[in-house]
Amino acid sequence: MSARADILARLRGAVAGSDRVTRQAAAEARLLAAARGPQPVLPPDGRLRFQQRAVAQACTVDAVAGWASVPAAVASYLETHDLGTVAVATPDLAAIDWASAGLRVACRGAVDADQVGISGCFCAIAETGTLLLLSGPQTPATVSLLPETHVTLVDSRRIVATMEDAFALLRAEHGQLPRAVNFVSGPSRTGDIEQTIVLGAHGPCRVHLILIGETV
Amino acid sequence: MAGMRSQAMHFQARAGQKLADEVLQGALRRAQPLFTAKRQKGMASLAADGLDFGHLRAAAAAIRQAVLDDLDVWLELFEARAKARGAEVLWARDGAEVSQLVVDLARRHAVRTVTKSKSMLSEEAALNAALLAAGVRPVETDLGEYIVQLADEPPSHIIAPAVHKTIAQVDALFADAHGRPRQTRHSSDIPALAREAREILRPQFLAADMGISGANFLVAETGSAVLVTNEGNGRLVTTLPRLHVVITGIEKVVPTLEDVATLLRLLPRSATGQDISNYVSLLTGTKSADESDGPDQTVFILVDNGRAGLLGSEFEPMLRCIRCGACMNHCPVYFSLGGHAYGWVYPGPMGSVLTPLLTGLDQALDLPWASTGCNQCGEVCPVDIPLPALMRGLRERQQHQQLRPRGERWARRVWGWLALRPRLYRWLTRGLVRYLHWLADGQGRIRIFGLVPGWTAGRDLPVGPGRSFHELYAARKRD
Ligand code: SF4
Repeated sequence: MSARADILARLRGAVAGSDRVTRQAAAEARLLAAARGPQPVLPPDGRLRFQQRAVAQACTVDAVAGWASVPAAVASYLETHDLGTVAVATPDLAAIDWASAGLRVACRGAVDADQVGISGCFCAIAETGTLLLLSGPQTPATVSLLPETHVTLVDSRRIVATMEDAFALLRAEHGQLPRAVNFVSGPSRTGDIEQTIVLGAHGPCRVHLILIGETV
Repeated sequence: MAGMRSQAMHFQARAGQKLADEVLQGALRRAQPLFTAKRQKGMASLAADGLDFGHLRAAAAAIRQAVLDDLDVWLELFEARAKARGAEVLWARDGAEVSQLVVDLARRHAVRTVTKSKSMLSEEAALNAALLAAGVRPVETDLGEYIVQLADEPPSHIIAPAVHKTIAQVDALFADAHGRPRQTRHSSDIPALAREAREILRPQFLAADMGISGANFLVAETGSAVLVTNEGNGRLVTTLPRLHVVITGIEKVVPTLEDVATLLRLLPRSATGQDISNYVSLLTGTKSADESDGPDQTVFILVDNGRAGLLGSEFEPMLRCIRCGACMNHCPVYFSLGGHAYGWVYPGPMGSVLTPLLTGLDQALDLPWASTGCNQCGEVCPVDIPLPALMRGLRERQQHQQLRPRGERWARRVWGWLALRPRLYRWLTRGLVRYLHWLADGQGRIRIFGLVPGWTAGRDLPVGPGRSFHELYAARKRD
């Protein structure tokens, strides 16, 4: 008997309950219902909550009025932190006039040598100060992963309250999941040596957010 | 059984060694208050968002239980949807089959190096040894796992594998492995050591042909694996190599993305006190033709290794476990001994239940007794597993299967007989407490108790006031 058949036979022997067809139908119904568990009570200002939680996750946050101000905001962040003027960005950001702020930005997947990665995000979650990034040809996952510094552009209108809301948006706009959905909450960290948290493990050491849209 | 050899039979001997190990005791003393404080912080943040721990954990336990009730159906659903997205799904009965499948995959795809993000199942299977024997180099990339791999030791904690190591020991391991002189280190040097590991491991991530990860959950709705990490190694291992292998237990399925969201409100908070871990990755299928990153091939290995045998038994609730580590973080026995004393992959209260169930009751005789019965573990468990009750159930099984020493079994039978005869029981206990009182040294202690000398080998036996509980209770009621 194959391992698959063997294991499933053992499971069927152990689970009580009605016949398989009924149980399958019940499982499918449960998937369709997509019922939510207990929900948090969050303050009405999602943008403020997002910002506070992102800062608590050790992100730095800047805000600009519109997309036109993005290159200057990125340039000023890089300058303040002495990070140069060269960056890699996800191809979906190719239309932004990076050169206007003196930045040299290549729009492609990141390689090890890249020091700064710039990406957008699918949406952001107020509850935990989390970014939701989708993989795809226009949004390669390496840009938010390999460089030491990750700059994310967050459209204020795309801040949702909870992870459940983010999943609902994802289902509505994409139907099926892309290869990788990454929830990112601040720079990478480790507590594996003497339980002391240090920032900058294998992923980015700095995550800077630029909130775009009306300010509070 | 195949896979990692269990040393759980040597619990008592190891416990003695661990108690005498000053370095280990120092590391444990430092770690415990940090663990409990972190969870407390996590619970406070739940409350601040208007969420009640009891309410949320009932919901989490219900999700996990619903899956166990129809585990065959959920696994088939997961399998169908994962395959529809282009993943391969393989099954393994035990650790030996896991190793065989992975070694075959490595051969088929001409794999030379493997990067691994934490997978406890690969520990169960002793996969690293099998890979090495097949000429494939496995590199652990979680910092704690990397440290214990350098030390050639198993992890001593499920979420903090190197909690038993001091900074001096880590420095020595790094110095020897990375070819630099040893240095005197202080806590302020921890970032430098983490940086050193980052720089050593980065080229390994880039060069690996195969990435192996576990999965915190498998999502039936989407055929995805959920990976929860802080370091980013999980993302690297599942993004860069051309082949990604997910090794996980068959019990890890959850129905929907909403269920993942519910469980994620509890898992990081119970484990590290974080509202959410840095990275939660939801991985589905393989990369498309026009994508620049992601694996060409994704393989799931669903492993039984004894789990099916728990289904439908009184020990089924153990399969709800989401591996948060809270039970060991709140266990006085774990923090007296550290994780290695438990002798197999899983330490602490969950290990005391799982190890005998997965490796054999007669292979881990002392583990169900490695408990003070304080039920701190049961209190903190985010999926409401009654750990002390399960340990008691295992003790009963030991009694029935005649796995306890003859004298002990006999004594328990005598006690059982007496307990059913209240008058006689009262009369005897009355005599016994008076006898003990008479034996005591005048300060309410017995230094050496001849009847069970083991009891007083490391401590005194405190003695009550010379009157039995029943007498005291009756006196109290009269007042
Ligand atoms: S038994 Fe409960 S507390 Fe222990 S690791 Fe599992 S889920 Fe966490």
